[in-house]
Amino acid sequence: MLLVDDLLIKPFVSLLDILHAMVLEEMYSVSEIRDSIKENQLLYELGERAQPEYEQQKLELETRLEVAEQVHEKLIGGNIEVQ
Amino acid sequence: MSDNPNLYVYGITEQTDIELTVDGVGGASTLRTVEYRSLAALVADIDTTDPERSDEAVEAHDSVLQAVIERDDIETVVPMGFGMAFKNTRTLKGVMRGARRALRKALNDVEGCVELGIKLVDPTDGAADPDELRGRLESDLDPLSAGQTDDDLFSDRLVANRSYLVEQDRRDAFDDAVEAIDGDYEDVLVNYTGPWAPYNFVDIRIGAEASR
Repeated sequence: MLLVDDLLIKPFVSLLDILHAMVLEEMYSVSEIRDSIKENQLLYELGERAQPEYEQQKLELETRLEVAEQVHEKLIGGNIEVQ
Repeated sequence: MSDNPNLYVYGITEQTDIELTVDGVGGASTLRTVEYRSLAALVADIDTTDPERSDEAVEAHDSVLQAVIERDDIETVVPMGFGMAFKNTRTLKGVMRGARRALRKALNDVEGCVELGIKLVDPTDGAADPDELRGRLESDLDPLSAGQTDDDLFSDRLVANRSYLVEQDRRDAFDDAVEAIDGDYEDVLVNYTGPWAPYNFVDIRIGAEASR
C-alpha cells in the first residue's frame, strides 16, 4: 500500500528509486540501532556482558548509528543516487 | 567562559539561594539559582545558547540533577530536558514569568517525589512469564508509588520497563518491595535505578527557541 501511495504521489519517481529507499530504510533503521545501544548498556550494567564485548559493541553500534543518520538525512533531502 | 555568559537551565525548584559545585554541561562548575517570585531556576553559566548534544553532555545534565535531588534542602525538582540555554538572566526571568502556571503545576504534581526505574530482564530468552512479572510489579509497587509509566521495551529480553514516582518518605518501603521481587525470581535480572529527577512525570520545555 505504501508503495502504491508513493507511486501515486510521486509518479515521476521510478519504482527502483522507491524500492532502493525502502531497502535503505530497512538497512539503516536509526530506532533499531538506538534500541541495540540501550540493550548493550543494560546487559553490561547487569553483568551479562563483559566490558571488552560491551565496548566493542558500543563502538560498532555508534558507528552504524552515525552512518544511518547520514543516510536518513540524505533520504530526506533526496540526495541518494540510484546507480 | 565569556564575560557575559549564557545560562543553562537544569530544572526548576522552590528552594532559593542554592550554590553547588558541579561538573556540568559545557564545563560549568557552579550551580546557582535565578529566582522569579516563588520559582527558582537551577542554572549554570555556559558560553552558548545551543549546547551540542553528546553522550557526555547528556550525562553531565543528568548527574547535576542527580546531585541536586540528593540534597536534603531541596525537596522537589522539575527537570528540564537537555539543551535549555538562555541568553541572560533577564531573558530567563521573562520565560519563567510566561511559564509560571505550568511550572507551578508541575512542581505540585511531583512535590516531594523522585523517580525510580525498574527493568526486568529475562536471562534465558523466554523462560520468564511476562504477565506474572508485570502483575507482581503492579500489585507490589504501584500501591507504594504516586504514579507509574510503562516505558519502551527496547530489547526482546526486556519483560518490563517501568518508571515510578515515589514520595521520598516511601523510598525505604519501595526498596524493600523491589528486593523481595528480586529474591522471589532468581532467574530474572532486575535493574533498579534512581533516584532520578522525575523526567517521566513532567513534560516541560520552556521557550528556549524564543529566548535566543
